[in-house]
Amino acid sequence: MRPDIYRYSTMRLTNVSFRYRRRDPFVIEDADAHLAPGDVIELTGVNGAGKSTLLRLLAGLSSPTTGTIDDRPAIVGFAPDRFPADQPFTVTAYLRHMSRVRGQARWEPWAERLNMGHLLNTPLSDLSKGSAHKVGLVQALMADPGLLILDEPFAGLDTDTRATLPSIATEVAAKGGIVIASDHQGGLRDLSGLRHWTVLDGHLKESTTRPALRNPAETPAPQTVTVAVTVPADELPDFLARMRGEGYPAAEIEETG
Amino acid sequence: MIALATFRLAAYVRSHRVYQAFLLALAMLAIIHGNRAPRGAEASVLTDGAILLIPILAWAARSLLDTEPDRQREMSAIQVGGRAREVAAGLLAAFAACAAFSGLGLALALLLGVTGTPPSGVLGAALVLHVLAALAGTALGALTSRVILPSPAVSIMLLLLGFLAMLLISASPLYWLTVPLIAWMKAANAGELLGQAPQLAAISLAWCVAGLVAYVWLRRGR
Repeated sequence: MRPDIYRYSTMRLTNVSFRYRRRDPFVIEDADAHLAPGDVIELTGVNGAGKSTLLRLLAGLSSPTTGTIDDRPAIVGFAPDRFPADQPFTVTAYLRHMSRVRGQARWEPWAERLNMGHLLNTPLSDLSKGSAHKVGLVQALMADPGLLILDEPFAGLDTDTRATLPSIATEVAAKGGIVIASDHQGGLRDLSGLRHWTVLDGHLKESTTRPALRNPAETPAPQTVTVAVTVPADELPDFLARMRGEGYPAAEIEETG
Repeated sequence: MIALATFRLAAYVRSHRVYQAFLLALAMLAIIHGNRAPRGAEASVLTDGAILLIPILAWAARSLLDTEPDRQREMSAIQVGGRAREVAAGLLAAFAACAAFSGLGLALALLLGVTGTPPSGVLGAALVLHVLAALAGTALGALTSRVILPSPAVSIMLLLLGFLAMLLISASPLYWLTVPLIAWMKAANAGELLGQAPQLAAISLAWCVAGLVAYVWLRRGR
């Protein structure tokens, strides 16, 4: 039996450009990319750079002005940055409707996993921003998406859910899904194999190094300490080389008898 | 698609927006059928009721389509598998709401508006006309919904002007340039409803379909 990862083919963007109206400047210009099954992609860029537009193109909500997007997985899950909570349903009623639209997809396990048990009978309009965001995540996840698009998924979430989300992304990817998340907060950066996309002035670029977080206040620099290690003099060159090899700025400070 | 149409109908009812059109329809039907028409006027009563309901049906369709927040409409399109299905589900839900109000209008006309039982031919023509009224209301409501006309003021004005334009044009010799509302009423008053119904129904259906096609075309990328 073929493993799940072979269920989907690679999605491709070829020379994709997009503008909202004729004569408007291009919001996305000449984007070329491929998204393979199992990819988890972090999308960054300054406000207004075109991240949300790119996500809409990937989701199929907008068509490229020029260029093509091929082999989009049939089932797409999309969690918006702001869930539209102004709807006359409780959380359960809303998710039941969405489940029927998705062909009776199971939403209950996702609601449980995102700690939403106490919210199920709450009207959507009474939810806090973070709780409403969870509803958006559940409706995106319930149908086992081949392409999961998350727009600022960590915004407003509680600590437990923030910790859960990377593992959910990993699971979707392990089943052969593609996960792409627009994220200013670096919530997925601990995932191995994470791809980094940046939208800069409408141009999509992929970097191989982890980008620094834009707001240093969100992640304070790790506290450093200086330690003294006594080693035999003849082992010093090897020791320093080994420490420097591991990324520590090791230096000899004194020689003792 | 049926599930999404059901979701939109449920939102329309649970948001209580349904009562706006419902109460207005009841008030209008109470005025129209306040005095039971004499025997022999069944065709006029049934036709006039269907025509005068059209702006309320259009308002109902517009209101139903506008219940869903714009962001939810995008999410629905993704959930249901594409824009085309989302547009179709919206139109289906709007038509279902219009058909329910139109059916209410026909039922009250038969119960309160006429003295005798209408001949089966007249009843059949009235039934077709009420279905066409629901279609016309759906098309006019969809074309003035928020996704096409974001300004509520412009939208409601164009809805009413659209209905008035239909009335004025259909009162002229160029009645075939729109849904021929006045032509239907004239035919019923002249006792020629059965004879003219096929031609008028064909013209009405063509314009309703044209309106719906225009809506689908305008929804490209929206």
